Amino acid sequence: MRDMARLSGVLALLATTAVPLAAQAAAQGARHTPTAVIVSGPDVGSAAPDFRLPWATRDSIGSVDNDFVLKAHRGKTVVLAFYPADFTSGCTAEMKAFTDRYAELFGDDVVVVGISADSLGSHQRFAATLGVPFKLLSDPDQRVARRYGSKGTTGPKRTVYVIDGAGNVRYRDMRFGALDPKAYDALKLAVQNARRG
Amino acid sequence: MRRAAAMMIGLAAVASTLAAQDEEGIPVGALAPAVTVPDLAGRPVDLSRWLGQRPVLLEFWATWCTSCQAMMPRLAAMKQKFGDAVKFIGVNVTVSETRAGVEAYVREHRVPFQTLYDAEGVAARAYNPPATSYIVIVDRRGRVVYTGAGGTQNLEPALRQVTGR
Repeated sequence: MRDMARLSGVLALLATTAVPLAAQAAAQGARHTPTAVIVSGPDVGSAAPDFRLPWATRDSIGSVDNDFVLKAHRGKTVVLAFYPADFTSGCTAEMKAFTDRYAELFGDDVVVVGISADSLGSHQRFAATLGVPFKLLSDPDQRVARRYGSKGTTGPKRTVYVIDGAGNVRYRDMRFGALDPKAYDALKLAVQNARRG
Repeated sequence: MRRAAAMMIGLAAVASTLAAQDEEGIPVGALAPAVTVPDLAGRPVDLSRWLGQRPVLLEFWATWCTSCQAMMPRLAAMKQKFGDAVKFIGVNVTVSETRAGVEAYVREHRVPFQTLYDAEGVAARAYNPPATSYIVIVDRRGRVVYTGAGGTQNLEPALRQVTGR
């Protein structure tokens, strides 16, 4: 199983542009330095691939003709937080921290979405349990996660992207440490930089 | 309402190890990193005081983590049984925590370990815990022999292994 995962990692490396995280961290200019891994997905400076996904919030589930569409949020800073699964303790830590520190980390004019393979019903319950103040998107076949280099085995890997108002990736952490306070500090700084333009 | 919410998180946390498998943690067989992490009073605690000297149990925990709460009685029982030979350390992850809140929790619940407060994330980056309630058991040579997460972990076999009992 581990060999399979390693093989798929190598194939992903060959099929896509691979970026060592050390170089990425330097580009980010942040103090937080993620552990070195080989990753794919849109690099810092490149256009964020557009996508459309259904969503739920703590109060409701979005109607079928009202999907979240990334390009509809041009002009705003967008944070995409891919995570493995609702109600798991690492994801609870991450979403709880985002919720508790929402104003400090993001602010009202930033669009934040969490993305996992869970159903909309699960998302609604998870968001209601924690009081999550933003949309959770359902990506059951990890189609979007794959485009963002975040596809995992049972659910997405824990990654974070910050996209600026022009639709370009300004920051990414391809191994976001949900239990590492410095990961949140680095994300906060990246959001502030993206908001400044 | 609060109890129902806690129960939902608790029940779901049982399944957390499944999703956690997609994340890494520290491999069994690896040398446990001897990082320095402050205690609740801010005093630096160098884990090399114990790692490589005697068996060590580390738990990455938080006061709001229901799996961690579920593990407390089990940890207390294990400490009772193996505490003379194994160093028990709880690394508070500090995410969505305050130092005062952790201090109050530790006082009130008499947690069965020495508490460290990983405000700089030094231990989190070294061990890459996939979840709160992540437990690492290290033998006297400093090698990881067990990792796991969740509120129903059976730690006794690994503790018997590292103590030779």
